[in-house]
Amino acid sequence: MAIATTLEERRAIAETVRKLMADENGEKRVRAVMETQDGIDRPLWSRLAEMGIAGLLVPSRFGGAGLGPVELELIAEETGAALACTPFLSSSVLTAGLLVASQDEAACARLLPGIAAGTTIATAALTAERGSWKPEDVAVAAQETDGAAVLTGTASYVTHAGSADVLLVVATTPDGPALFEVAPRNPGITIAALPTFDRTLRLDRITFNRVPATRIGKAGWPAMEAALRLTLVARAGEQAGGARRIFDMTVEYARTRIQFGRPIGGFQAIKHMAAELLLEAESATSAARDAALQLALEEAGAGEAIDLAAFACADAFAKIAATAIQMHGGIAFTWEHPAHLYLRRARAYSYLFGSSDLYRERFLTKISAQPHNVSAAP
Amino acid sequence: MTNDDLRREVNDWLAAHWGGAGSIAQGMWDTNAEMRAWYTKVFEARWSVPSWPVEWFGRNLSDEQTSIVIEAFARVGAPGTGQDRFNLPANTLLALASDALKDALIPGLLKREITTCLLYSEPSAGSDLAGVRTRAERDGDRFIVNGQKVWTSGAATADYGMLIARTDWEVPKHSGLSFFFLPMKQAGVEVRPLRQITGEAHFNEVFFTNAIVPAANLVGGLNQGWRVLQTALAYERSTMGANARKSRHGSADDIIALARAAGRLDDPLLRQDIARVIALRRLNALNNARAKADLEQGTSSSIMSLGKLAMSRILHEEARVRTAIIGVESLLAGETHPTADDVNFLALNAYFTSIGGGTDQIQKNIISERVLGLPKEPELDRNVPFKQVRSG
Ligand SMILES: Cc1cc2nc3c(=O)[nH]c(=O)nc-3n(C[C@H](O)[C@H](O)[C@H](O)COP(=O)(O)OP(=O)(O)OC[C@H]3O[C@@H](n4cnc5c(N)ncnc54)[C@H](O)[C@@H]3O)c2cc1C
Repeated sequence: MAIATTLEERRAIAETVRKLMADENGEKRVRAVMETQDGIDRPLWSRLAEMGIAGLLVPSRFGGAGLGPVELELIAEETGAALACTPFLSSSVLTAGLLVASQDEAACARLLPGIAAGTTIATAALTAERGSWKPEDVAVAAQETDGAAVLTGTASYVTHAGSADVLLVVATTPDGPALFEVAPRNPGITIAALPTFDRTLRLDRITFNRVPATRIGKAGWPAMEAALRLTLVARAGEQAGGARRIFDMTVEYARTRIQFGRPIGGFQAIKHMAAELLLEAESATSAARDAALQLALEEAGAGEAIDLAAFACADAFAKIAATAIQMHGGIAFTWEHPAHLYLRRARAYSYLFGSSDLYRERFLTKISAQPHNVSAAP
Repeated sequence: MTNDDLRREVNDWLAAHWGGAGSIAQGMWDTNAEMRAWYTKVFEARWSVPSWPVEWFGRNLSDEQTSIVIEAFARVGAPGTGQDRFNLPANTLLALASDALKDALIPGLLKREITTCLLYSEPSAGSDLAGVRTRAERDGDRFIVNGQKVWTSGAATADYGMLIARTDWEVPKHSGLSFFFLPMKQAGVEVRPLRQITGEAHFNEVFFTNAIVPAANLVGGLNQGWRVLQTALAYERSTMGANARKSRHGSADDIIALARAAGRLDDPLLRQDIARVIALRRLNALNNARAKADLEQGTSSSIMSLGKLAMSRILHEEARVRTAIIGVESLLAGETHPTADDVNFLALNAYFTSIGGGTDQIQKNIISERVLGLPKEPELDRNVPFKQVRSG
């Protein structure tokens, strides 16, 4: 992979998405969409598809834009800032990523064009009740006889399964985890919507009872990991963008809210919180962008850069969104104020696709395996 | 000149001249003859300040090319270059001094023949630096200085002190200050070492009794000292955001190695903490790289001002984790227990960065006001003639 766009082009893409989010995805829209059944802002999703964003990572021979992690991360900063309610992560990042990584040309030709056009909503089931996103916890088993497979077991925390036209499933085989496709409306499948704390998210638990499945490619867990890496880069971008937006709103409030005859932003307790959060917000942006860049350039350090972004962005967003409420006072304890929407997203993204503890552990494992680790470098 | 040509030139020069660190002094406060000899060579070959103008000892290189030179020196472990980024007195002089003073002092500074100290803080003016009470009074072509400074690092050996002193008591506090390069080795200057919490004595009290500074050593104009001080402080803070002292025996700098040696690298709770603090360093490096890239693209970056605050947190957090790693061994001290000695030293020395050069609280004030545009605290003494201002 290399970076297909120039800096100028990327700035233009980010600007266009930012404008679209401001036009189409105001807070009102988010609030309306999050109360609908499928939680998808269809008009917005069509606009994103027209702009080529639904097929951002899909190779051009399958009808996509053929772009990579750097563009993905930039766009995610904008969608994350606006809390956009779309199946972008499910369909365009995780599932498209799995298909591309599977190297199954036939499956790609069959499924990717619809994903790129935004007409197919796709999702993937990778983890079970424990929500660890680790291969050893996969709780769907594949039984293969004469090239035909059936799946039995449970998957959970599957995004947008209720609306999915395409459903990929990671299931265990005697050779380890493998990727399968099932028909989401097969009678052996039960999809139960999970009530979510972050109402902009849609999550489901799926049970499989001898469901006929098609094996996708031959790849094992490394392909899942490749797709998860892209998903984490997108998640990090959304976190950095969301963190920055709620931070900016908070600083603006501190400049204008008057108490004791002066703006509360003049009180040191508030100023110091703001200065600390700025460091968090900037660090999250740096980490997300670096992870995207390293992945795009296929640098040797990409794995640890992604681990770092995964926990640093999650933690920064959670801290900023939480502190923002304190800095606002009572107004932010109301349902009407947007602060809790960011806090909900921040808390949800601290666990969806893997926890900070998990990625800290992986980060340390990687760097402590290097003969000359850089923990002491200035 | 292309980047490759430059890389070749600097590498060839290093290959021809650099013979290894040998007995060159390494410490922040130390100099010796070998060090001066090497820095002089670097100066004469114009590598000291690569980005500076050709007429001022440099090569007029871009930021990117300067980094090439710095990296080439770093690769062989040779000091002396990159002083355009960290040599505080030289940079302050280049920005604001008269040509005569630049000529007089900069070469010596870059060759390490001249050392300096910062005569800013006083018993009644620390965070509130504009409140200094040391006075400088004009007497023909010189100024007579009386008063006291404190916490002056390196004063015992310094040749010059960068002095902020009051030259007008009738105007508000920021408007009556002047900035001088004061010769330290004179009868009117008395230096008394202070023992620090680390046991070392790098900082000092400095007393001036009719000390003399030539008027030619005034930088930035009479009563313009506050502006000069801002420039000097910005340099000091940006270096403090990028660097910090290592441990004395070098046995605790690498946290992973420390944990491995202590047999604790498999403790799951410690692992989380270790990952957290290593991440802080990485994030600071990524922030600095982003700030640099922003600058190169012509957009100024707010991240610049965060470095010192970030480094202060890094050092304190690392110290906490190092202490947790060695546990009860941290009860011990001294040469016979180098690891405990290092860990304890680093825990104490972290305050160098969180207090020196402006405390964390002052940094947060600056960030929130200058970067985020939040209002300043009301200042009771802002527009009052200084002689009416309260102190204590
Ligand atoms: C290792 C070391 C080396 C040093 N080297 C030098 C040197 O070479 N030259 C030199 O001139 N000085 C030096 N200093 C002095 C240093 O710059 C001062 O100690 C520092 O600026 C704080 O001043 P102070 O000690 O008087 O504390 P004070 O200003 O009295 O501060 C006391 C406490 O009050 C807080 N505080 C003060 N004002 C505010 C405010 N407006 N808002 C919020 N909190 C506030 C501070 O953060 C601190 O916690 C050194 C200090 C150290 C620790």
